Amino acid sequence: MDSRGGKITVALVVACVLFGGGYVVYAALGPSQTTTDASPTAAAVPADAAVMVRAVDPSSPALNGGVFVVEDGKVRRRSKDLACERVYYAAGGGICMGVAPSGVDYTASVFDADYQPIHSMRLTGLPSRARVSADGRYGAMTVFVSGDAYLSSPTAFSTRTYLLDMKSGEQIEQLEQFDVEKDGAPFDAVDFNFWGITFDPTDSDRFFATLGTGDHHYLVEGSVEGREVKVLRDGVECPSLSPDGKQIAFKSRIEDTNRWRLHVLDVATLADHPVAEKRSIDDQAEWLDDDTLVYSDGENVYTVPAGGSGEAALLIRDATSPVALRN
Amino acid sequence: MYQVEASKALLKPRLWRSRTARLRVPRNVIMLGAVSLLTDISSEMVATVLPMYLIFSLGASPLVFGAIDGTYRGAAALVQVLSGFTSDRWRRHKEVAGLGYGLSALGKVALVAAGNTVGGIGAIVAVDRVGKGIRTAPRDALISLSSAKDKLATSFGVHRAMDSVGAMLGPLIAFGILFLAPARFDAVFVVSTLFAVLGLAVLILNVEGKPRRAPREGAPPQLRAALALLKDRSFAPLLLAAAGLSIASVSDALIYVGLQRTIDFEPAVFPLLYVMTAISFMALAIPVGQLADRVGKVPVLLAGHALLFIVYAVLLMTSVGYLALAVCLVALGGYFAATEGVMTALAGAVLPERLQASGIGILITVVSLGRLVSSVAFGALWFAIGLQSAVLVFGASLALAMALSAPLLLRAQRTAADG
Repeated sequence: MDSRGGKITVALVVACVLFGGGYVVYAALGPSQTTTDASPTAAAVPADAAVMVRAVDPSSPALNGGVFVVEDGKVRRRSKDLACERVYYAAGGGICMGVAPSGVDYTASVFDADYQPIHSMRLTGLPSRARVSADGRYGAMTVFVSGDAYLSSPTAFSTRTYLLDMKSGEQIEQLEQFDVEKDGAPFDAVDFNFWGITFDPTDSDRFFATLGTGDHHYLVEGSVEGREVKVLRDGVECPSLSPDGKQIAFKSRIEDTNRWRLHVLDVATLADHPVAEKRSIDDQAEWLDDDTLVYSDGENVYTVPAGGSGEAALLIRDATSPVALRN
Repeated sequence: MYQVEASKALLKPRLWRSRTARLRVPRNVIMLGAVSLLTDISSEMVATVLPMYLIFSLGASPLVFGAIDGTYRGAAALVQVLSGFTSDRWRRHKEVAGLGYGLSALGKVALVAAGNTVGGIGAIVAVDRVGKGIRTAPRDALISLSSAKDKLATSFGVHRAMDSVGAMLGPLIAFGILFLAPARFDAVFVVSTLFAVLGLAVLILNVEGKPRRAPREGAPPQLRAALALLKDRSFAPLLLAAAGLSIASVSDALIYVGLQRTIDFEPAVFPLLYVMTAISFMALAIPVGQLADRVGKVPVLLAGHALLFIVYAVLLMTSVGYLALAVCLVALGGYFAATEGVMTALAGAVLPERLQASGIGILITVVSLGRLVSSVAFGALWFAIGLQSAVLVFGASLALAMALSAPLLLRAQRTAADG
């Protein structure tokens, strides 16, 4: 039995190596792409505002898309080489996060005013959010870390948020290592997750972000230099400060779901109101100006008045990750 | 008894005797190791790329993946006890294990054929987990029944080392394929299926279903007999000790989270933590198993748990250099090498031949429940009193658990030697 079983096993191994090797060669010669050729189209012309977006192919939304600027109804590609899933830009520096050529790895690059990458890094997870402070000093990236077989419980998914020095393009801090304060006392738990940084437009050291733990999604305010954050209130995800720094647009979770409504809160009082967009939006909203939000539903880019009145309006087709370009 | 074994050994084919003579590991254990190695390559290949496949090719959100991943982790526990008892009752360890390996292989085939919906993948992941739950206890029983009682720890060490080689190779092979054929997940799934089929084939063709210590006579065991193990004078103390030790040990996942929080290292270094731990485990599993057979399983088990104190100490340090990190990870690998396999080997020595799989199934379930309690408790403590204090509490609990379990384990080992 031993020798017969052994012979059959050897024959099977040979057959598997031939078939498996053959299939890999066939796949290697076949088509594969991680970047789409799609390009966005302008659906409306906003008053004196230029918007940077990343093109999306609605049938394969996870493919990297080119970076375009939409201005006065005209769509222009910024660089032949720049392609991402998430883009942000301010004051001569940008962040481009996307899937690596392998299809299972993710990379980010920091690029300059000429859209040339000055620094690239491997991402430890799936691109989620990107921001650059208005003065171009700091950058922030959030990635989803999931599928680590080792990171089974207690968190089904986790996020990591990195702070970047935009001049060198290198990572300077990981938000998970900041000290957290809640109600005047130190606050810590095993399932802390940070996501969605927004910088104060007038003081880039000051930022807001979301701290998730248990069923809570706290709005935190922090200091980059001080390496600390403090909890302000619950129920705020992906905050985004208005250009005048007085309001924060955010995702408000519909209880016990993974669906969100866009809300706007007053920084002074922390009271909030919903905007007119009725659909669930999973995006870190951007401010076109002090009265208008711009955001994506994953396929197209829309605007909506921040005050709660009016209605959502289509701005750009086949685009996500809108960035209002200010001078 | 000795003469019977010796004459049987003479009947074995010479080839295998010479090849395995140095380690003196039964051929069946090597073959079961090969089955696990191939199966682990297969499942780790898929585990490595599945989240990206879901998100990248199917457009699922990471939250959906979290749900798929978390839903079925608990399912395996109950299955283990049932499959263990069933394989003892039918005296068909190989066939029941084969069913588990077969289910996982079938899951891989389904992935190639129909893995293009998020729901379909959820079902496939569930089938895979159930398959793993079914095969573990009868497989470990086969390893135990294939080995002489004084060589059990070496056998489990060899099996676990081979198993972890597979777990290391899987991601490497998956990334290698995607390097050659970017974003072609189908190629990864096809090759993974082939490894799963090969693993099943090696089990069917090369593993002896009735090894040397397998019971051949007597009535098949009743469920009552399996349940009586919970009160068995040698196995019950072992279960109690295993439960206590697993509750007092911080799970590796939480240790990594803690290290990440404590140590300021480049994010790119993070995956290397697992790799270093796995290499340490792989290198130490066999020598530690041999040591346990020579000096006794209980001292090695306790020394293995003591290695956790090094890990805890590093978690308590305010600034950790790369040297301390390396020491910590080597210690963590050593802890794994000296605990799970050695504990199973001790169970194999303590348990009667006719209830090997039942007992091992119960042990695995008790240990995984203990780990669950440990994780929940550690998370709650971390929240209540902070990471450092939680580590201190767990350090003290581990010392206590070791002190209490030492006499229990020694009693288990002594009665095993008597019987």
